Amino acid sequence: MWLPLLGLLLGFAIGVLAGWEVPDAYSSYLSIAILAAFDTLIGGWRAHLQQTYDEMVFITGFFFNIVLAATLTFLGVHLGVDLYLAAVFAFGVRLFQNMAIIRRLWLAEWAKRRQNREKS
Amino acid sequence: MKRQARSRILLTIICFIFGAMLGFSYQHASKEASRRGWKDGEWSKEYEYRSALLSLQKENRSLKQQLVQKQEELAAWEKKLSKKQESEAGLAEEAKQLRMYIGKARVKGKGVAVTLSDSSYIPSEASATDYIVHEQHVWSVVHELFISGAEAVAINGQRISHRSYIVCNGPVIEVDGTPHAAPFVISAIGNPDVLASALGLPGGVVDQLVEDHVDVKVEKQEAIVLDPIFAPKP
Repeated sequence: MWLPLLGLLLGFAIGVLAGWEVPDAYSSYLSIAILAAFDTLIGGWRAHLQQTYDEMVFITGFFFNIVLAATLTFLGVHLGVDLYLAAVFAFGVRLFQNMAIIRRLWLAEWAKRRQNREKS
Repeated sequence: MKRQARSRILLTIICFIFGAMLGFSYQHASKEASRRGWKDGEWSKEYEYRSALLSLQKENRSLKQQLVQKQEELAAWEKKLSKKQESEAGLAEEAKQLRMYIGKARVKGKGVAVTLSDSSYIPSEASATDYIVHEQHVWSVVHELFISGAEAVAINGQRISHRSYIVCNGPVIEVDGTPHAAPFVISAIGNPDVLASALGLPGGVVDQLVEDHVDVKVEKQEAIVLDPIFAPKP
């Protein structure tokens, strides 16, 4: 359980301390990629809680979503249409939905525990 | 177990990638924010400087306007002053002139001298009074001279003013209380030609005087000096 968290912190530290500069032109790609990754992570968490987690789906989803979002942004930049808004919207909505599902699952678990405690 | 470990490692890798992205983004965002902040500061500074400059320019303008106004005022004052001085100078000149006219100042100029003497030939003692100079003769000469444009007239060196009087007082003629005896020299400053010809008009003053047996001599003189009138004698 601690290993992924450690990996996260390590990655963050490297990202901050490495000193690689992201050019301004690519900052939008980075932000959309982050959004996609975050969405995938939350989605994976939700799937894990719902016991529908599939490793292959998760990993392919992670990279595919990032690439897709970046591609959309790239297209949008070159077509003059703000297509990254579509990605932001889609990922944002899904993020909130997943969060809501996680919250409900937690609530259900918490209610079940309390009922059990009251019973006993 | 093996499978779980593998998935754990995969998850860790993914988390690592995500963390790295987050880190990059964070770094970028913080840099951007700091840059923007700096820019904001610069803007505010620039605005401050600009407003200070503007206010200075405004002040300058108003001061310049004030300066122009003051200069205009000064010019007006100077003009006034010069005018005043001019008028004062004119006044002084005028006062001098007027003093000359009323006999308060010594005057000098071209003119004529009219000498009236008693007739050298007196046929009889009884009619002697017909052969001497009377005050009306002096009067007529003086009047004629003034009418002809004499600027200053004196009898035997005594200036005649507008308040002078000439009276007969027996053997003498009193001018302003000062007795004068014949011959009377009436000096007048003015244009000598005009005065002389005015006196010598046919049927004029000289003719009448000659008719009254008065010896008349009219001389044009280049320089006559007349003393001012002194305070009337008590």
